Amino acid sequence: MIQKKEFPYKPSEHEAESASNSYLMSVIAIIIGLPLPIVNLIATAIFFLGNRKATYFVRWHCTQALLSQLSMFFINSFGFWWTVSIIFSDETITNSYIGYIISVIIFNIVEFITTIYTAIQTRKGIHIQWHFFGELTQLICKSNRNN
Amino acid sequence: MKPLIQGSIVAVIFITLWLAISNINWVEIFKVEKSTDDIEVKLGDIFWDAISENEKINTNNYVNTIVDSIVNDICTSNQIDKAFLKVHIIQKDDINAFALPNGHLVIYSGLIKNCDNPEELAGVISHEIAHIQLNHVMKKLIQEIGLSVLISVTVGNTGSEVLSEITHLLSSTAYGRTIEKEADLKAVDYMIKAKINPENLANFLYKLAENENNITAYLTWISTHPESKERSKYIIEYAKNKSKKFKKIITNSSWETLQKEI
Repeated sequence: MIQKKEFPYKPSEHEAESASNSYLMSVIAIIIGLPLPIVNLIATAIFFLGNRKATYFVRWHCTQALLSQLSMFFINSFGFWWTVSIIFSDETITNSYIGYIISVIIFNIVEFITTIYTAIQTRKGIHIQWHFFGELTQLICKSNRNN
Repeated sequence: MKPLIQGSIVAVIFITLWLAISNINWVEIFKVEKSTDDIEVKLGDIFWDAISENEKINTNNYVNTIVDSIVNDICTSNQIDKAFLKVHIIQKDDINAFALPNGHLVIYSGLIKNCDNPEELAGVISHEIAHIQLNHVMKKLIQEIGLSVLISVTVGNTGSEVLSEITHLLSSTAYGRTIEKEADLKAVDYMIKAKINPENLANFLYKLAENENNITAYLTWISTHPESKERSKYIIEYAKNKSKKFKKIITNSSWETLQKEI
């Protein structure tokens, strides 16, 4: 699920703090934004955009945080609109709906715990790479020679 | 390639988890249907009480028995639980019939008088039974009123104005084109299974649409069901290649007596 990996360089104290904040940002936004699934994505996106010119370590973790939030956004949005359609239209509560909501809750809890763990480790300067999102970040986020 | 495989693994885990959890009968565990049914039973009683307080109910034994026999015929031929349906005849000149929650089926005497034969009446009844069987009544209420208001109605937290507005919504407004069509086609199926010619429903709609300008004031059923001629056409079209073996649902003399008694 998650792996501790070697980063190309040792991040400074300031970099570790900024990178860790990108995860904390999504955690705080999840708490504030529930049940609206978009708030945490917006918060992470704003943090990502604000750190576009930051160092490689910070950019890398901002990207990983954003990608994880983006996928959760799609999963949560589907559940959100399904719920809205049940309340306001003629959709009925089915086993599939309850099954989906429980799966979403499980995924959100796992993501929430992983995010907090990653935030703590990143704050210590330890590079944490998530399953799938880490590989994707690796493709998107390229190192600048200056860093 | 690696992210693609890993992404697929995440997606497969999620879908497997979803499907596995969906296999558990949560609806039964959380008693979703029972609580919905309880609400429907209470709403049906509340709305019917509100209507029966303000309207004159036809208590003529003959009229009620004949209408009941038509309903019974349709139900028996279509394996519909007749005991669930509660048929009420209101003494009023309006040409109207509507369904309330929990299987209440209300027919105005004006509608019975304006039917040329018992098969036309059976057509209208089939249409309303279709609304009940397809759960259109509760769907419409939830869509237009909202579940929270409906629950507050069941616990008596709403005033009489809200109650009369909801009753008006159920008795004097249509369900929307798609739902009406669904009920029309279901009614055709019911009629065919009961060996009643579905053309009678189409004729009734067409006839009332033609007379619309003359008797609009009483035409609640038709004026709230838009595009009557179009409905009449698709009913004929849908029924075209179906069974041709039809019967008379009641004898001519019974029908004539019903018309006299109503």
